Amino acid sequence: MSAIVATPLERDEREIRNGLLSWLATTDHKRIGILYIGTTTAFFFVAGMLALAMRTQLAQANLRFIGPQIYDQLFTLHGTAMIFLVIAPFGFGLGNYLVPLQIGAPDMAFPRLNAFSFWLFLFGGLTIFAGATTSSGAAADGWYAYAPLSTLKEGFGMGQDLWIVGVLLVSFSSILTAINFTTTIFIYRTPGMTMWRIPIFTWEMLATSLLVLMAFPLLTAVLILVLVDRHLGGHFFDPNLGGSPILYQHMFWFFGHPEVYVMILPYFGIVTEIIAVFSRKPVFGYTGLVLATFAIAGLAMGVWAHHMFTTGAVVDPFFAAVSFLIAVPTGVKFFNWIGTMWGGKLIFPTPMLFAIGFMLNFLIGGITGVMIAAPPIDFQARDSYFLVAHFHYTLGGGSLFALFAAIYFWFPKMFGIMLDDKLGKWNFWLLFVGFNLTFFPMHFLGVMGMVRRIYTYPDLPGWSLLNGIATFGASLQAIGVLVFIINVFLSFYARRVAGDNPWDAYSLEWATTSPPPELNFTKIPRIRSERPTFDMNHPEIARDTGR
Amino acid sequence: MRSARAAGPFALALLTGCGFHPLPSGATVQSEELHAMWIVFFWTGLGVAIVIWGLIGWCVVRYRRTPADATFPPQFRRNNRMEVVYTGIPILMACGLFAITYAAERHVETIAPQQSVIVNVTGYQWSWRFDYPQLGFSIGGSPKTPPVFELPIGETTRVSMTSVDVDHSFWVPGFLFKRDAIPGLQNVFDWTPKKLGFYLGECGEFCGIGHAKMSFGVRVVSPSDFARWSATHRRVALAGTDAGSAR
Repeated sequence: MSAIVATPLERDEREIRNGLLSWLATTDHKRIGILYIGTTTAFFFVAGMLALAMRTQLAQANLRFIGPQIYDQLFTLHGTAMIFLVIAPFGFGLGNYLVPLQIGAPDMAFPRLNAFSFWLFLFGGLTIFAGATTSSGAAADGWYAYAPLSTLKEGFGMGQDLWIVGVLLVSFSSILTAINFTTTIFIYRTPGMTMWRIPIFTWEMLATSLLVLMAFPLLTAVLILVLVDRHLGGHFFDPNLGGSPILYQHMFWFFGHPEVYVMILPYFGIVTEIIAVFSRKPVFGYTGLVLATFAIAGLAMGVWAHHMFTTGAVVDPFFAAVSFLIAVPTGVKFFNWIGTMWGGKLIFPTPMLFAIGFMLNFLIGGITGVMIAAPPIDFQARDSYFLVAHFHYTLGGGSLFALFAAIYFWFPKMFGIMLDDKLGKWNFWLLFVGFNLTFFPMHFLGVMGMVRRIYTYPDLPGWSLLNGIATFGASLQAIGVLVFIINVFLSFYARRVAGDNPWDAYSLEWATTSPPPELNFTKIPRIRSERPTFDMNHPEIARDTGR
Repeated sequence: MRSARAAGPFALALLTGCGFHPLPSGATVQSEELHAMWIVFFWTGLGVAIVIWGLIGWCVVRYRRTPADATFPPQFRRNNRMEVVYTGIPILMACGLFAITYAAERHVETIAPQQSVIVNVTGYQWSWRFDYPQLGFSIGGSPKTPPVFELPIGETTRVSMTSVDVDHSFWVPGFLFKRDAIPGLQNVFDWTPKKLGFYLGECGEFCGIGHAKMSFGVRVVSPSDFARWSATHRRVALAGTDAGSAR
């Protein structure tokens, strides 16, 4: 691979290429990707600090550190930010950076739409947080904002409206991004890059985008209905005037459950790529894995009412059955990962540690997910700390661990320099131990009867102990994240040059320079399998998959 | 005075009701099935976890590479027989778990044709009201003085429930059961208590600023104690209406 020869630039030209304005006006998918990743990481730090404040209040029974007014805003903003501003859009951001590179395209299909999506997202996020500056405070009714609680104007003021508008902006941004990904992946693949040769991460982004296109319009619709109820005298959700609170739940979860998979599929893709590279083997069962992804996406559209088992208003057995079935393709993925490692030659730099941490944690979340998919178990677990433990094991121990894996893995590509591996390992172990200390005890708390979204709890036997352990774990996680921040700064200072392909990785982004030039490639290797860069670097074991 | 009386049973619950039970067992006949479900799913889940963690652990330990080793392992991509096995077994497990779930849920949801007691529960921001329509009295409360209602042991009570403002959820952890109280919707289920005692109840669905304090208590008592308790409340209720009409 020939490297790009840099020509010395005049100062003015450097300004144009790297100045603030160049970032504000950019339509380059790589810069937009980095903007997304930077923004979502910043939101992640804020949302994490909100969680730390909550854990401090819950450290012992009957503490009076934070009252319900503040606490309700904390969990609302924490949940909203983690879901709408961190986990889902980080996937879009990384996809923005990687998808065109992985399929050998110069940019996304609609670069200006892409930039527009990012700015919608950023201002949507800021709008949500802007609620905290109003006299009545930010929204305080949780990330799923059940009506008729959220339609009561006396209950929640301007903060709630800003929350609705902010989430609407983010929702539009997601829909536009999904259109962009779908078009890019179908139309912009380089010659030789057949669908059955695109990397798993790109497949996962395609499935994610299709889910967004089906689910997010419902979110948009239901939020607009809430606005109408609040300000225009509508009564879609007011039972006294013929409206239906259950309708809100149906509409919200018809979006809300696919959203769960929007928040996990990209991370499945990340983990798949990383495990293969550090096992020095191709992905095991590539076709099966892709089919499993689409099976998950398909089933995900038909399970929404398992969030409503306790309402007494849905046909439980159907939704239980479909929910159990989702465990099958998810299980297939686990066996794909194990099969990829099987007989391999494994090394364990930081991205691989996070990928393995992802598998260990996500498995717990997956198993408790099957448990609460059974209505008789959900009757106890729903809205308890058991549920809190469950979804943090999937989205925290799962998605967020894969998020860190992705940053450690692709940082060298994005900035041309390596992150420190020793600090990375500290980062991993602090997060891994801290995470499990925080969330494992919550399973017991939930079963014992601790309900979620309470700012204080009575001094029942064992509750203070288990909550104390959880709070201690949360502080370990905070230190872990601090180590990450230090690592990023020190690495920019140390500037250990990465080179084009520091991990001997497989997909096309590793065939170009780090960071890649403006339109990504000066030359694209011949594509004969799903591992074009590997085939180029190791012709002696390259194999034509013939698809 | 009232608050002290209400606090008594809650203090008792601290001491006896909620010991450390990793796998809950419930205090109603209906919850026997729920408890069995927890046991089945817990052990199945643990089994699956041990197999998968074991396989991951095996790979991590067995297939390590020394930094000096620059060779590549065999580059196999698939194994059709394995793929059929690891898709088929989970499908069978999902079917099995569904069969168990279906049977258990039918049992839990069954409404007996005849109930000896009827309790109408109403949730509101932020407490509960318990009406005994056959007996002609109600129990109310507030976040500061949570209401406590009684159920006779061994007899089937029909609980019929709704909300007057926003969504709430009626949860008695000791019975392993919750059901949402939703405005405009009437939810009905049966409870047949089988263990004497005091059980703490909570609101499960976030319902605003008073959510954390929206608790209540259920006391399961002998039928004779229940008769005495309801007679007292009935007398108070009647005295109330008499006093009202006299005035």
